[in-house]
Amino acid sequence: MTGWTIQTLARAIAARKISPVEATQACLDRIARLDGRVHAFITVDADGALAAARALEAELAAGRSRGSLHGVPLAYKDLCHVPGLPTSCGTKTREYFTSPVECTAVARLREAGAVTLGKLNMTELAMGPFGDNAHHGDVHNPWKTGHCAGGSSSGSAAAVAAGFAFATLGSDTGGSIRLPAACCGVAGLKPTYGRVSRAGAMPLSWSMDHLGPLTRTVADAALILEIVAGHDPRDATSSRRGVPYYLRMLESPIAGLRVGVPENHYFDGIDTEMAAAVRAAAEILAGLGALVAPVRVPDPRTLTDVGNVISRSEAAALHARLARERPHELQPAVRARLEIGFHISAHDYLQALRLRSRLAREFITEVFADVDALVAPVIPEPAPALEAVKSGSVDEFVARMGRFSRLTRPFNTLGLPALTVPCGFSSDGRPLALQIVGRAFDEATTLRLGHAYQQATAWHLEGPRL
Amino acid sequence: MNAPESRVSADVAGLAAAVERVAADLAIAEEPAGFVLALEGESPTETA
Repeated sequence: MTGWTIQTLARAIAARKISPVEATQACLDRIARLDGRVHAFITVDADGALAAARALEAELAAGRSRGSLHGVPLAYKDLCHVPGLPTSCGTKTREYFTSPVECTAVARLREAGAVTLGKLNMTELAMGPFGDNAHHGDVHNPWKTGHCAGGSSSGSAAAVAAGFAFATLGSDTGGSIRLPAACCGVAGLKPTYGRVSRAGAMPLSWSMDHLGPLTRTVADAALILEIVAGHDPRDATSSRRGVPYYLRMLESPIAGLRVGVPENHYFDGIDTEMAAAVRAAAEILAGLGALVAPVRVPDPRTLTDVGNVISRSEAAALHARLARERPHELQPAVRARLEIGFHISAHDYLQALRLRSRLAREFITEVFADVDALVAPVIPEPAPALEAVKSGSVDEFVARMGRFSRLTRPFNTLGLPALTVPCGFSSDGRPLALQIVGRAFDEATTLRLGHAYQQATAWHLEGPRL
Repeated sequence: MNAPESRVSADVAGLAAAVERVAADLAIAEEPAGFVLALEGESPTETA
């Protein structure tokens, strides 16, 4: 059961073939048996999960259903505020982040019937793409222990891949949903900036943060997005646009959609198996009727530099107290990345914010005039070994971080929706993945393309042997 | 200046130079809120 999709489990629960308690207990048993090898969780709330599952079971017995997640066990990155549970944000401090309100996205999932299993491991302060964590243990890739799960939503991706939870929430400031999804062979969606409320989730950079789902299939990502998307008065940046029926739109044919494959920058220096898998995925989309063609895109380094000025400045402002009063508690690489933000001038920060407007307008006008979506690699190589990425000096470690996240960061600066979809395995069994980038607020097209690809392939049906 | 201070200075200088390179011809009217307007100006395929 723990390998099922949300939709399969929800149907079984609705048909009374499986109870919410049985589903929750199966996840808890699997976590207890296997998470010692993965380190996906920081907090497992077995008592709370079972109590919620029993209440949901009683509601079903009384003929009431909360909706499409009734009795489905989920888990959340440990930067989402869930009343009654600590929120460490991956730091040494058990209760680093507190909020007067429950994370809106979590509240919406709970209201739709989800059971909360617990809080998931992450890179400290969400600053890093590898999933290493000296305080709570490095998250190991379920496909190949000793290798990175990706970060910073490392536990969110590993928990889905390992069958600990049916879906999870992660956050993405520079790739932190898409990178771990790619490393762990699951789907991960960074929605458009403003599509999903960040209220009740610890910020890293107000201008660049996004919350989104990590799931076994693209269809499950559509289901979760449909629930968590939409305006929230508690997040001033959340959009007032209506929320599409993403699930219903999934089955629309993709024939005629124009898909661009960047001919510059995004395949430079990419691992050969990764590049071949992404190009093969584009050919499959072409076989389904999409009009796939090469496209030239603006230099992503400019987008990355502008985004880094913004995110470093905002992160330093947010975590100034921790950095100044208890710097010894921070891992050296996190401290080094945070330090930069204290030295960026107000002039450069404001110029970067102004530039972001122009760069977004130019990208949308120039690139999306010719295509409906872009297809590109997410990570430059399959999940690297943990010891290899952590070796050497702090400078070397930080430089590796920048290289590993160079394909995702531009789309945080642009705020565009981007979906990670698994597309194969390296010769030694590590997942390969593509990202599908869409127009602003057009998650529906990225999800349609991803779903069509999964209907034509079987990579997403594979699971790791733990 | 020790090694970490030197590294931070170099990183900050690099970012500042990158911003300076592309910001030279920014229009006076360009403001940060233009980013959200750029996103919202886009039309989704279908909404409910």
